[in-house]
Amino acid sequence: MSKIEDVKVLVETGKSKKVAAAVQEALDAGDKAQDILDAMIASMGVVGDKFSSGEIFVPEMLIAAKAMSKGVEVLKPVMAGDGSSSLGTCIMGTVAGDLHDIGKNLVVMMLESAGFDMVDLGVDVPADKFVEAVKENNNVVLVACSGLLTTTMPALKEAVQTIKEAYPDMKVIVGGAPVTQEYANEIGADGYAPDAGSSAAKAKELIGA
Amino acid sequence: MLTIRENLLETMKGGNPDRFVKQYEFIDLIMEVPLGLEFNYGQTWKDHWGITWQWPEGQLGMFPVHHDGLAVIQDITEWKSVVKKPAIATSDEAWAPAIAHANAVDRKEKFATAFFAPGIFEMTHHLMGMENALMALYEEPEAMQELIDYLTEYELEFAAVMMEKLKPEAILHHDDWGSQISSFISPEMFEEFFVPSYKKIYQFYKDNGVELIIHHSDSYAANLVPYMIEVGIDIWQGVMNTNNIPELIEKYGEKITFMGGLHSGTVDYPGWEKEVVKKQVEETCKANGHKYFIPCQTSGLPIENFEGVIAYIDECIDEMSKEEF
Repeated sequence: MSKIEDVKVLVETGKSKKVAAAVQEALDAGDKAQDILDAMIASMGVVGDKFSSGEIFVPEMLIAAKAMSKGVEVLKPVMAGDGSSSLGTCIMGTVAGDLHDIGKNLVVMMLESAGFDMVDLGVDVPADKFVEAVKENNNVVLVACSGLLTTTMPALKEAVQTIKEAYPDMKVIVGGAPVTQEYANEIGADGYAPDAGSSAAKAKELIGA
Repeated sequence: MLTIRENLLETMKGGNPDRFVKQYEFIDLIMEVPLGLEFNYGQTWKDHWGITWQWPEGQLGMFPVHHDGLAVIQDITEWKSVVKKPAIATSDEAWAPAIAHANAVDRKEKFATAFFAPGIFEMTHHLMGMENALMALYEEPEAMQELIDYLTEYELEFAAVMMEKLKPEAILHHDDWGSQISSFISPEMFEEFFVPSYKKIYQFYKDNGVELIIHHSDSYAANLVPYMIEVGIDIWQGVMNTNNIPELIEKYGEKITFMGGLHSGTVDYPGWEKEVVKKQVEETCKANGHKYFIPCQTSGLPIENFEGVIAYIDECIDEMSKEEF
Protein backbone atom coordinates (compact mmCIF):
# COMPACT_ATOMS: atom_id res chain seq x y z
CA MET A 1 0.00 0.00 0.00
CA SER A 2 1.39 3.44 -0.93
CA LYS A 3 2.01 6.00 1.79
CA ILE A 4 -0.87 8.10 0.49
CA GLU A 5 -3.18 5.12 0.70
CA ASP A 6 -2.08 4.66 4.32
CA VAL A 7 -3.03 8.27 5.04
CA LYS A 8 -6.43 7.81 3.41
CA VAL A 9 -7.22 4.74 5.47
CA LEU A 10 -6.07 6.41 8.70
CA VAL A 11 -8.29 9.45 8.05
CA GLU A 12 -11.30 7.34 7.11
CA THR A 13 -10.94 5.24 10.23
CA GLY A 14 -10.20 8.24 12.46
CA LYS A 15 -6.77 7.23 13.67
CA SER A 16 -5.77 10.72 14.74
CA LYS A 17 -2.71 9.61 16.70
CA LYS A 18 -1.17 7.92 13.66
CA VAL A 19 -2.04 10.28 10.82
CA ALA A 20 0.66 12.90 11.41
CA ALA A 21 3.43 10.32 11.17
CA ALA A 22 1.86 8.78 8.07
CA VAL A 23 1.62 12.18 6.35
CA GLN A 24 5.25 12.87 7.17
CA GLU A 25 6.23 9.47 5.78
CA ALA A 26 4.32 10.22 2.59
CA LEU A 27 6.14 13.55 2.24
CA ASP A 28 9.48 11.86 2.92
CA ALA A 29 8.66 9.27 0.28
CA GLY A 30 8.29 12.08 -2.25
CA ASP A 31 4.52 12.46 -2.41
CA LYS A 32 3.40 16.03 -3.10
CA ALA A 33 1.68 17.86 -0.27
CA GLN A 34 -1.22 18.78 -2.56
CA ASP A 35 -1.72 15.13 -3.50
CA ILE A 36 -1.75 14.11 0.16
CA LEU A 37 -4.25 16.84 0.95
CA ASP A 38 -6.45 15.82 -1.98
CA ALA A 39 -6.35 12.23 -0.74
CA MET A 40 -7.47 13.30 2.72
CA ILE A 41 -10.25 15.45 1.26
CA ALA A 42 -11.38 12.44 -0.76
CA SER A 43 -11.36 10.35 2.42
CA MET A 44 -13.59 12.86 4.15
CA GLY A 45 -15.89 12.73 1.13
CA VAL A 46 -16.21 8.99 1.70
CA VAL A 47 -16.83 9.60 5.41
CA GLY A 48 -19.55 12.13 4.56
CA ASP A 49 -21.24 9.70 2.18
CA LYS A 50 -21.14 6.91 4.75
CA PHE A 51 -22.69 9.24 7.34
CA SER A 52 -25.45 10.28 4.94
CA SER A 53 -26.24 6.66 4.16
CA GLY A 54 -26.35 5.68 7.84
CA GLU A 55 -23.33 3.41 7.60
CA ILE A 56 -21.43 5.41 10.21
CA PHE A 57 -22.51 7.75 12.99
CA VAL A 58 -21.46 11.07 14.51
CA PRO A 59 -18.48 9.76 16.56
CA GLU A 60 -16.92 8.15 13.49
CA MET A 61 -17.29 11.39 11.55
CA LEU A 62 -15.81 13.40 14.41
CA ILE A 63 -12.75 11.24 14.80
CA ALA A 64 -12.18 11.22 11.03
CA ALA A 65 -12.31 15.03 10.95
CA LYS A 66 -9.92 15.17 13.88
CA ALA A 67 -7.55 12.78 12.12
CA MET A 68 -7.64 14.93 9.02
CA SER A 69 -6.85 18.06 11.00
CA LYS A 70 -3.80 16.31 12.47
CA GLY A 71 -2.65 15.51 8.95
CA VAL A 72 -3.27 19.05 7.76
CA GLU A 73 -1.10 20.38 10.61
CA VAL A 74 1.85 18.53 9.10
CA LEU A 75 1.10 19.82 5.60
CA LYS A 76 0.54 23.46 6.57
CA PRO A 77 4.20 24.50 6.86
CA VAL A 78 4.96 22.70 3.60
CA MET A 79 2.11 24.41 1.78
CA ALA A 80 2.51 27.84 3.41
CA GLY A 81 1.79 30.61 0.95
CA ASP A 82 0.19 28.22 -1.49
CA GLY A 83 -3.40 29.39 -1.68
CA SER A 84 -4.29 26.91 -4.36
CA SER A 85 -5.62 24.37 -1.87
CA SER A 86 -8.34 26.67 -0.51
CA LEU A 87 -11.82 26.76 -1.98
CA GLY A 88 -12.35 30.17 -0.38
CA THR A 89 -13.81 31.34 2.89
CA CYS A 90 -17.13 30.16 4.27
CA ILE A 91 -18.90 32.02 7.07
CA MET A 92 -21.05 29.77 9.23
CA GLY A 93 -23.32 30.21 12.22
CA THR A 94 -26.51 29.11 13.93
CA VAL A 95 -29.12 31.83 13.56
CA ALA A 96 -30.41 34.25 16.20
CA GLY A 97 -32.27 32.78 19.14
CA ASP A 98 -30.95 29.28 18.56
CA LEU A 99 -28.18 27.78 20.71
CA HIS A 100 -27.85 24.43 18.92
CA ASP A 101 -24.29 23.84 17.88
CA ILE A 102 -23.77 20.13 17.23
CA GLY A 103 -25.01 20.04 13.64
CA LYS A 104 -23.35 23.36 12.90
CA ASN A 105 -20.02 22.10 14.28
CA LEU A 106 -20.24 18.95 12.18
CA VAL A 107 -20.83 21.01 9.05
CA VAL A 108 -17.89 23.29 9.93
CA MET A 109 -15.68 20.21 10.17
CA MET A 110 -16.92 18.73 6.92
CA LEU A 111 -16.53 21.98 4.97
CA GLU A 112 -13.10 22.57 6.44
CA SER A 113 -12.14 19.05 5.47
CA ALA A 114 -13.38 19.74 1.94
CA GLY A 115 -11.02 22.71 1.61
CA PHE A 116 -12.97 25.75 2.78
CA ASP A 117 -11.42 28.25 5.20
CA MET A 118 -14.09 28.33 7.87
CA VAL A 119 -15.11 31.30 9.98
CA ASP A 120 -17.37 29.94 12.70
CA LEU A 121 -19.55 32.68 14.20
CA GLY A 122 -20.96 30.30 16.80
CA VAL A 123 -24.60 30.17 17.89
CA ASP A 124 -27.33 32.78 18.31
CA VAL A 125 -25.94 34.85 15.43
CA PRO A 126 -28.02 37.90 14.40
CA ALA A 127 -28.53 38.43 10.66
CA ASP A 128 -26.33 41.54 10.62
CA LYS A 129 -23.40 39.63 12.03
CA PHE A 130 -23.31 37.35 8.98
CA VAL A 131 -23.11 40.44 6.76
CA GLU A 132 -20.37 41.98 8.90
CA ALA A 133 -18.39 38.76 8.72
CA VAL A 134 -18.62 38.71 4.93
CA LYS A 135 -17.30 42.26 4.91
CA GLU A 136 -14.50 41.62 7.39
CA ASN A 137 -13.09 38.44 5.88
CA ASN A 138 -11.22 37.86 2.65
CA ASN A 139 -12.38 35.79 -0.26
CA VAL A 140 -15.76 34.85 1.20
CA VAL A 141 -17.51 32.59 -1.31
CA LEU A 142 -20.23 31.06 0.82
CA VAL A 143 -22.37 31.70 3.90
CA ALA A 144 -23.87 28.75 5.76
CA CYS A 145 -26.76 29.29 8.17
CA SER A 146 -28.08 26.65 10.52
CA GLY A 147 -31.40 26.59 12.37
CA LEU A 148 -32.63 23.74 14.52
CA LEU A 149 -35.89 25.05 15.91
CA THR A 150 -39.17 25.67 14.17
CA THR A 151 -39.38 28.84 16.23
CA THR A 152 -36.12 30.13 14.74
CA MET A 153 -37.13 29.52 11.14
CA PRO A 154 -38.10 33.21 10.82
CA ALA A 155 -34.57 34.09 11.97
CA LEU A 156 -33.17 31.80 9.28
CA LYS A 157 -35.26 33.58 6.69
CA GLU A 158 -34.15 36.96 7.99
CA ALA A 159 -30.49 35.91 7.89
CA VAL A 160 -30.72 34.71 4.28
CA GLN A 161 -32.59 37.79 3.15
CA THR A 162 -30.25 40.19 4.97
CA ILE A 163 -27.20 38.54 3.44
CA LYS A 164 -28.79 38.58 -0.02
CA GLU A 165 -29.74 42.25 0.29
CA ALA A 166 -26.17 43.20 1.16
CA TYR A 167 -24.49 40.73 -1.20
CA PRO A 168 -26.92 39.60 -3.91
CA ASP A 169 -24.37 37.31 -5.57
CA MET A 170 -23.21 35.62 -2.37
CA LYS A 171 -24.07 31.94 -2.24
CA VAL A 172 -26.02 30.96 0.86
CA ILE A 173 -26.57 27.40 2.05
CA VAL A 174 -28.98 26.46 4.85
CA GLY A 175 -29.68 23.41 6.95
CA GLY A 176 -31.03 22.10 10.23
CA ALA A 177 -33.68 19.65 11.40
CA PRO A 178 -36.84 21.55 10.40
CA VAL A 179 -35.38 22.92 7.14
CA THR A 180 -36.41 21.39 3.82
CA GLN A 181 -35.47 22.03 0.22
CA GLU A 182 -38.85 23.69 -0.23
CA TYR A 183 -38.26 26.02 2.69
CA ALA A 184 -34.77 26.81 1.44
CA ASN A 185 -36.24 27.77 -1.95
CA GLU A 186 -38.98 29.80 -0.30
CA ILE A 187 -36.57 31.95 1.70
CA GLY A 188 -34.20 32.49 -1.20
CA ALA A 189 -31.28 30.29 -0.17
CA ASP A 190 -29.13 28.93 -2.98
CA GLY A 191 -28.67 25.52 -1.45
CA TYR A 192 -29.79 23.10 1.21
CA ALA A 193 -28.13 20.04 2.71
CA PRO A 194 -30.17 17.53 4.69
CA ASP A 195 -27.22 16.44 6.82
CA ALA A 196 -23.59 17.24 7.60
CA GLY A 197 -22.38 14.39 5.44
CA SER A 198 -23.81 15.87 2.26
CA SER A 199 -23.07 19.51 3.13
CA ALA A 200 -19.56 19.54 1.64
CA ALA A 201 -20.66 18.22 -1.74
CA LYS A 202 -23.49 20.75 -1.90
CA ALA A 203 -21.23 23.61 -0.82
CA LYS A 204 -18.68 22.74 -3.51
CA GLU A 205 -21.42 22.48 -6.10
CA LEU A 206 -22.71 25.94 -5.18
CA ILE A 207 -19.35 27.61 -5.74
CA GLY A 208 -18.66 25.57 -8.86
CA ALA A 209 -15.67 23.74 -7.39
CA MET B 1 -66.29 1.39 27.89
CA LEU B 2 -62.84 0.49 29.14
CA THR B 3 -61.13 2.64 31.73
CA ILE B 4 -58.16 4.70 30.59
CA ARG B 5 -55.88 2.17 32.20
CA GLU B 6 -57.59 -0.85 30.68
CA ASN B 7 -57.63 0.79 27.28
CA LEU B 8 -53.91 1.41 27.46
CA LEU B 9 -53.18 -2.18 28.47
CA GLU B 10 -55.35 -3.52 25.64
CA THR B 11 -53.45 -1.29 23.22
CA MET B 12 -50.11 -2.47 24.55
CA LYS B 13 -50.95 -6.15 24.28
CA GLY B 14 -52.49 -5.80 20.83
CA GLY B 15 -55.87 -6.77 22.24
CA ASN B 16 -59.15 -4.95 21.96
CA PRO B 17 -58.94 -1.32 22.96
CA ASP B 18 -62.22 0.49 22.39
CA ARG B 19 -60.60 3.77 21.32
CA PHE B 20 -57.20 5.32 20.64
CA VAL B 21 -55.14 6.11 23.71
CA LYS B 22 -55.09 9.89 23.91
CA GLN B 23 -51.48 10.99 24.29
CA TYR B 24 -50.41 11.07 27.94
CA GLU B 25 -53.91 10.43 29.32
CA PHE B 26 -52.87 7.24 31.17
CA ILE B 27 -50.11 9.05 33.05
CA ASP B 28 -50.52 11.07 36.20
CA LEU B 29 -47.07 12.59 36.13
CA ILE B 30 -45.40 13.42 39.39
CA MET B 31 -43.23 16.34 38.41
CA GLU B 32 -42.69 17.31 42.04
CA VAL B 33 -39.91 14.70 42.34
CA PRO B 34 -36.97 16.66 43.88
CA LEU B 35 -34.54 15.98 41.05
CA GLY B 36 -32.75 19.28 41.49
CA LEU B 37 -33.71 20.33 37.96
CA GLU B 38 -34.13 24.03 37.35
CA PHE B 39 -36.01 25.72 34.52
CA ASN B 40 -35.04 29.40 34.57
CA TYR B 41 -36.48 31.19 31.57
CA GLY B 42 -34.32 34.01 30.29
CA GLN B 43 -31.42 33.18 32.60
CA THR B 44 -27.99 31.56 32.78
CA TRP B 45 -27.25 29.35 35.78
CA LYS B 46 -25.24 26.40 37.09
CA ASP B 47 -27.05 23.22 38.14
CA HIS B 48 -26.19 20.84 40.96
CA TRP B 49 -23.63 18.99 38.84
CA GLY B 50 -21.92 22.29 37.99
CA ILE B 51 -23.30 22.28 34.44
CA THR B 52 -23.95 25.77 33.04
CA TRP B 53 -27.36 26.27 31.39
CA GLN B 54 -28.87 29.02 29.31
CA TRP B 55 -32.51 29.58 28.45
CA PRO B 56 -32.64 32.45 25.98
CA GLU B 57 -35.69 34.68 26.10
CA GLY B 58 -38.21 33.85 23.41
CA GLN B 59 -37.00 30.25 23.14
CA LEU B 60 -38.79 27.04 24.02
CA GLY B 61 -36.06 25.34 25.94
CA MET B 62 -32.74 25.50 27.71
CA PHE B 63 -29.30 24.43 26.57
CA PRO B 64 -26.14 23.27 28.35
CA VAL B 65 -23.22 25.60 27.66
CA HIS B 66 -19.68 24.35 27.11
CA HIS B 67 -17.74 27.13 25.40
CA ASP B 68 -15.23 29.44 27.09
CA GLY B 69 -14.11 26.80 29.54
CA LEU B 70 -17.57 26.30 31.01
CA ALA B 71 -17.74 22.53 30.48
CA VAL B 72 -17.49 20.63 33.75
CA ILE B 73 -15.18 18.01 32.21
CA GLN B 74 -12.33 19.53 30.23
CA ASP B 75 -10.30 16.31 30.11
CA ILE B 76 -12.18 13.03 30.34
CA THR B 77 -9.20 11.28 31.93
CA GLU B 78 -9.51 13.73 34.83
CA TRP B 79 -13.28 13.39 35.29
CA LYS B 80 -13.00 12.05 38.83
CA SER B 81 -11.52 15.29 40.08
CA VAL B 82 -14.38 17.44 38.76
CA VAL B 83 -17.58 15.33 38.71
CA LYS B 84 -19.22 14.93 42.10
CA LYS B 85 -22.61 13.34 42.62
CA PRO B 86 -25.06 15.91 44.00
CA ALA B 87 -26.64 15.14 47.36
CA ILE B 88 -29.92 13.27 46.96
CA ALA B 89 -32.78 14.78 48.92
CA THR B 90 -34.12 12.22 51.35
CA SER B 91 -36.08 14.30 53.86
CA ASP B 92 -39.85 13.96 54.09
CA GLU B 93 -40.05 17.70 53.68
CA ALA B 94 -38.25 17.65 50.32
CA TRP B 95 -40.48 14.83 49.09
CA ALA B 96 -43.75 16.05 50.61
CA PRO B 97 -45.24 17.60 47.44
CA ALA B 98 -44.33 14.52 45.38
CA ILE B 99 -45.72 12.14 48.02
CA ALA B 100 -48.94 14.15 48.25
CA HIS B 101 -49.30 13.96 44.48
CA ALA B 102 -48.54 10.23 44.39
CA ASN B 103 -51.14 9.58 47.10
CA ALA B 104 -53.75 11.58 45.23
CA VAL B 105 -53.47 9.62 41.99
CA ASP B 106 -56.55 7.62 41.03
CA ARG B 107 -54.60 4.45 40.34
CA LYS B 108 -57.65 2.64 38.98
CA GLU B 109 -57.69 5.06 36.06
CA LYS B 110 -54.13 6.21 35.69
CA PHE B 111 -50.57 5.18 36.38
CA ALA B 112 -48.81 7.11 39.14
CA THR B 113 -45.75 8.05 37.13
CA ALA B 114 -42.48 9.32 38.50
CA PHE B 115 -40.30 11.51 36.34
CA PHE B 116 -36.55 11.20 35.87
CA ALA B 117 -34.23 13.25 33.67
CA PRO B 118 -31.68 13.56 32.25
CA GLY B 119 -30.54 10.04 31.46
CA ILE B 120 -27.03 8.64 31.28
CA PHE B 121 -26.25 9.52 27.66
CA GLU B 122 -27.46 13.09 28.01
CA MET B 123 -25.48 13.49 31.21
CA THR B 124 -22.23 12.58 29.44
CA HIS B 125 -22.67 15.35 26.89
CA HIS B 126 -24.12 17.84 29.35
CA LEU B 127 -20.92 17.46 31.35
CA MET B 128 -18.44 17.85 28.52
CA GLY B 129 -20.17 18.83 25.27
CA MET B 130 -21.50 16.52 22.60
CA GLU B 131 -18.42 16.34 20.40
CA ASN B 132 -16.08 15.61 23.28
CA ALA B 133 -18.44 13.04 24.77
CA LEU B 134 -18.82 11.21 21.47
CA MET B 135 -15.14 11.26 20.62
CA ALA B 136 -14.23 10.10 24.12
CA LEU B 137 -16.16 6.89 23.49
CA TYR B 138 -13.44 6.10 20.94
CA GLU B 139 -10.44 7.84 22.38
CA GLU B 140 -10.79 7.17 26.11
CA PRO B 141 -13.26 4.30 26.39
CA GLU B 142 -12.09 3.21 29.84
CA ALA B 143 -12.56 6.66 31.34
CA MET B 144 -15.94 7.00 29.63
CA GLN B 145 -17.03 3.63 30.97
CA GLU B 146 -16.04 4.71 34.47
CA LEU B 147 -17.98 7.95 34.12
CA ILE B 148 -21.04 6.09 32.80
CA ASP B 149 -20.83 3.65 35.72
CA TYR B 150 -20.64 6.58 38.14
CA LEU B 151 -23.70 8.25 36.60
CA THR B 152 -25.53 4.93 36.70
CA GLU B 153 -24.70 4.57 40.37
CA TYR B 154 -26.22 8.01 41.01
CA GLU B 155 -29.40 7.11 39.12
CA LEU B 156 -29.76 3.88 41.07
CA GLU B 157 -29.24 5.67 44.37
CA PHE B 158 -31.88 8.23 43.40
CA ALA B 159 -34.21 5.49 42.18
CA ALA B 160 -33.99 3.71 45.54
CA VAL B 161 -35.15 6.83 47.38
CA MET B 162 -37.84 7.58 44.82
CA MET B 163 -39.27 4.07 44.97
CA GLU B 164 -39.42 4.14 48.74
CA LYS B 165 -41.09 7.55 48.85
CA LEU B 166 -43.57 7.31 45.98
CA LYS B 167 -44.11 3.69 45.05
CA PRO B 168 -44.80 4.72 41.46
CA GLU B 169 -46.34 2.32 38.98
CA ALA B 170 -44.62 3.89 35.99
CA ILE B 171 -41.49 5.84 35.21
CA LEU B 172 -41.17 8.49 32.52
CA HIS B 173 -37.45 8.62 31.85
CA HIS B 174 -35.80 11.03 29.43
CA ASP B 175 -32.66 10.33 27.43
CA ASP B 176 -32.45 11.46 23.82
CA TRP B 177 -30.49 8.94 21.82
CA GLY B 178 -30.62 10.44 18.35
CA SER B 179 -31.24 13.25 15.94
CA GLN B 180 -34.29 13.29 13.69
CA ILE B 181 -32.52 11.13 11.13
CA SER B 182 -30.10 8.86 12.98
CA SER B 183 -29.05 7.58 16.35
CA PHE B 184 -26.15 9.58 17.75
CA ILE B 185 -23.99 6.48 18.08
CA SER B 186 -23.93 3.11 16.36
CA PRO B 187 -26.01 0.26 17.78
CA GLU B 188 -22.76 -1.57 18.59
CA MET B 189 -21.43 1.35 20.60
CA PHE B 190 -24.80 1.79 22.28
CA GLU B 191 -24.78 -1.87 23.27
CA GLU B 192 -21.27 -1.65 24.67
CA PHE B 193 -21.58 1.54 26.70
CA PHE B 194 -25.22 2.16 27.53
CA VAL B 195 -27.21 -1.09 27.45
CA PRO B 196 -25.60 -2.52 30.62
CA SER B 197 -26.44 0.67 32.57
CA TYR B 198 -30.02 0.82 31.37
CA LYS B 199 -30.52 -2.86 32.09
CA LYS B 200 -29.51 -2.23 35.70
CA ILE B 201 -31.62 0.91 36.07
CA TYR B 202 -34.82 -0.36 34.47
CA GLN B 203 -34.50 -3.79 36.09
CA PHE B 204 -34.22 -2.05 39.46
CA TYR B 205 -37.49 -0.23 38.84
CA LYS B 206 -39.22 -3.40 37.68
CA ASP B 207 -37.92 -5.34 40.68
CA ASN B 208 -39.43 -2.68 42.91
CA GLY B 209 -42.93 -2.71 41.54
CA VAL B 210 -42.86 -0.46 38.49
CA GLU B 211 -45.13 -1.83 35.80
CA LEU B 212 -44.38 0.56 32.97
CA ILE B 213 -41.08 1.94 31.80
CA ILE B 214 -41.75 4.82 29.44
CA HIS B 215 -38.59 6.03 27.79
CA HIS B 216 -38.55 9.37 26.00
CA SER B 217 -36.31 9.98 23.00
CA ASP B 218 -37.84 12.25 20.39
CA SER B 219 -35.61 11.11 17.61
CA TYR B 220 -34.79 8.45 15.13
CA ALA B 221 -33.80 5.34 17.07
CA ALA B 222 -35.29 2.47 15.05
CA ASN B 223 -31.88 0.80 15.05
CA LEU B 224 -31.91 0.78 18.86
CA VAL B 225 -35.35 -0.77 19.35
CA PRO B 226 -33.99 -4.30 20.00
CA TYR B 227 -31.94 -2.80 22.84
CA MET B 228 -34.94 -0.88 24.14
CA ILE B 229 -36.72 -4.20 24.45
CA GLU B 230 -33.68 -5.84 26.02
CA VAL B 231 -33.35 -3.18 28.74
CA GLY B 232 -37.03 -3.39 29.61
CA ILE B 233 -38.65 -0.37 27.99
CA ASP B 234 -42.40 -0.89 27.62
CA ILE B 235 -43.24 2.31 25.76
CA TRP B 236 -40.94 4.36 23.55
CA GLN B 237 -42.33 7.87 23.82
CA GLY B 238 -41.25 10.42 21.21
CA VAL B 239 -41.01 8.10 18.22
CA MET B 240 -40.78 10.27 15.12
CA ASN B 241 -42.11 9.47 11.68
CA THR B 242 -38.55 9.29 10.37
CA ASN B 243 -38.50 5.83 11.99
CA ASN B 244 -41.10 4.15 9.77
CA ILE B 245 -43.44 3.49 12.68
CA PRO B 246 -45.73 0.97 10.88
CA GLU B 247 -42.71 -1.21 10.17
CA LEU B 248 -41.58 -0.99 13.80
CA ILE B 249 -45.06 -1.92 15.02
CA GLU B 250 -45.15 -4.89 12.68
CA LYS B 251 -41.72 -6.07 13.75
CA TYR B 252 -41.63 -5.28 17.46
CA GLY B 253 -45.16 -4.36 18.53
CA GLU B 254 -45.69 -7.42 20.67
CA LYS B 255 -42.74 -6.41 22.82
CA ILE B 256 -42.84 -2.62 22.91
CA THR B 257 -45.41 0.10 22.28
CA PHE B 258 -44.68 3.19 20.23
CA MET B 259 -45.94 6.57 21.41
CA GLY B 260 -45.58 9.59 19.15
CA GLY B 261 -46.07 10.19 15.44
CA LEU B 262 -46.99 13.85 15.91
CA HIS B 263 -43.88 16.00 15.60
CA SER B 264 -44.19 18.74 18.19
CA GLY B 265 -42.47 21.26 15.94
CA THR B 266 -45.11 20.84 13.26
CA VAL B 267 -48.18 20.95 15.49
CA ASP B 268 -47.18 23.11 18.47
CA TYR B 269 -45.90 26.30 16.86
CA PRO B 270 -46.77 30.00 17.05
CA GLY B 271 -50.16 30.49 15.41
CA TRP B 272 -50.74 26.74 15.00
CA GLU B 273 -53.59 25.90 12.66
CA LYS B 274 -56.40 23.45 13.33
CA GLU B 275 -56.44 22.00 9.83
CA VAL B 276 -52.69 21.24 10.02
CA VAL B 277 -53.04 19.50 13.38
CA LYS B 278 -56.16 17.59 12.34
CA LYS B 279 -54.49 16.32 9.17
CA GLN B 280 -51.46 15.07 11.08
CA VAL B 281 -53.56 13.32 13.71
CA GLU B 282 -55.58 11.63 10.97
CA GLU B 283 -52.46 10.57 9.14
CA THR B 284 -50.70 9.12 12.17
CA CYS B 285 -53.81 7.29 13.44
CA LYS B 286 -54.52 5.79 10.02
CA ALA B 287 -50.90 4.88 9.28
CA ASN B 288 -50.13 3.30 12.63
CA GLY B 289 -53.44 1.90 13.84
CA HIS B 290 -54.48 1.29 17.42
CA LYS B 291 -52.43 -1.74 18.37
CA TYR B 292 -49.08 -1.08 20.03
CA PHE B 293 -49.38 2.59 19.09
CA ILE B 294 -50.33 5.73 21.03
CA PRO B 295 -50.81 8.90 19.02
CA CYS B 296 -48.96 11.63 20.89
CA GLN B 297 -46.84 14.70 20.44
CA THR B 298 -43.16 13.80 20.38
CA SER B 299 -42.53 16.29 23.18
CA GLY B 300 -41.38 14.51 26.33
CA LEU B 301 -43.89 16.10 28.66
CA PRO B 302 -47.64 16.59 28.50
CA ILE B 303 -47.28 20.32 28.17
CA GLU B 304 -47.82 22.67 25.27
CA ASN B 305 -45.83 25.67 24.15
CA PHE B 306 -48.77 27.36 22.46
CA GLU B 307 -52.18 27.42 24.06
CA GLY B 308 -54.82 24.95 23.08
CA VAL B 309 -52.77 22.46 21.05
CA ILE B 310 -53.00 19.53 23.45
CA ALA B 311 -56.76 19.85 23.86
CA TYR B 312 -57.23 20.11 20.11
CA ILE B 313 -55.03 17.07 19.42
CA ASP B 314 -57.14 15.13 21.95
CA GLU B 315 -60.29 16.31 20.18
CA CYS B 316 -58.91 15.10 16.85
CA ILE B 317 -57.95 11.75 18.36
CA ASP B 318 -61.52 11.40 19.67
CA GLU B 319 -62.74 12.02 16.13
CA MET B 320 -60.43 9.32 14.84
CA SER B 321 -61.65 6.91 17.52
CA LYS B 322 -65.23 7.46 16.30
CA GLU B 323 -64.12 6.80 12.76
CA GLU B 324 -61.82 3.82 13.34
CA PHE B 325 -63.64 1.89 16.12
